[in-house]
Amino acid sequence: MNCVEFRRQLAIDPQATSADFVQHRAECPRCAEAHARALAFEGGLARAFGVAAPAQLAEAILLAQTTAERRRRTNLRRATMFAAAAALVLAVGVVGMRAEAKPLSVQAVEHLHSEEQVLALTAPVAAAEVTATFADRGVALKQVPDGISFVAPCPVGKHRSVHLVMPTADGPLTVIYVADEKVARAAEFERDGLRGRSLPLGNGTLILLAKSKTEFDRVEALWRAAIAG
Amino acid sequence: MSPVSSKQRQFDALVRGYSGDLFRYAYWLCGEEALAQDLVQESFLRAWRSLDSLRETSAAKAWLITILRREHARLYERKTPQFVDVDEVEVADAREALTPEGSGEDALIRAAMLKLDVKYREPLLMQVLGGFSCEEIARELNISSAAVMTQLFRARQKLKAMLGGEPIEAQVYELR
Repeated sequence: MNCVEFRRQLAIDPQATSADFVQHRAECPRCAEAHARALAFEGGLARAFGVAAPAQLAEAILLAQTTAERRRRTNLRRATMFAAAAALVLAVGVVGMRAEAKPLSVQAVEHLHSEEQVLALTAPVAAAEVTATFADRGVALKQVPDGISFVAPCPVGKHRSVHLVMPTADGPLTVIYVADEKVARAAEFERDGLRGRSLPLGNGTLILLAKSKTEFDRVEALWRAAIAG
Repeated sequence: MSPVSSKQRQFDALVRGYSGDLFRYAYWLCGEEALAQDLVQESFLRAWRSLDSLRETSAAKAWLITILRREHARLYERKTPQFVDVDEVEVADAREALTPEGSGEDALIRAAMLKLDVKYREPLLMQVLGGFSCEEIARELNISSAAVMTQLFRARQKLKAMLGGEPIEAQVYELR
């Protein structure tokens, strides 16, 4: 390394420690003096650059960071809760839609299964109770058929209905009158070992369910007279 | 001990260890104390979000300076800065604005440093404040080592020229 190369290196990096740089400095008194002056200048540079950081800078940064982190976690928690609630609403909606997608006949059979114990009842209920139950569903009976052992204002799916049981010679016959849904036409069906018939009647639908359909015509006639007159 | 608290402790150590250095770097990058403070805070918040990418503690300072430089670049993407023609800034005025001390060699160097073009100022900052080698500066600035050496050489020449006649050893690198 010659003097020009040394001075150039001195201007690039006065702290250089390469072997040729150190060797030239040791051999050349003028360059060694220049090196000493350069180090003094570098010291001045470092001192001048060393502006004081604001007091409490680290604390201010940590406060901003912990505050932001808490806000982020709160938002995340809220978003999670919102997502869970939305998922629940969606699930309920889907279940509701699936339930609603079932035909009335299927919903009626499911309701019967949920209250099978009432099939064993045989004591007749008062005609006034039957009238009142239908009235509660907005239906004014013109007459009340005999032989009703159970009557209740039951929901079938989401529908306002009246659930009745009529003991017959062939066993108990379940009558469900759906007050707020009218099927388009009469139909017969079979499900879970039960025979069924659904038909439009008045403003609603009459559904008959039993092990056998032997009594269906007779009971249908009774309820036609009671509801349609 | 939860991973979160471990991460928080690591972050605390980074802030306490390097916020001062980062502030000085930011100050000399933008020339404004309040803006430098904002830059440092934003840089540390960004560092917190990507703390998992810091693999070696020995690289922490360089990593933070990289984040700071990007944050500084973003700042100037977001807003149009109010440029001041530094040639019109009198050293004496700058000296008054810069002090606490208000006078003396430090103030002169600071005023001269602020007049230095950023392409010369930044490698010099990285070397003097950051302790980076030419190769490390080259990697950070994405230029060649030769270009870094040229910029460092010229940075000192220009500073020396601006400080001419002052009690500082202004001609220190020149062969006479």
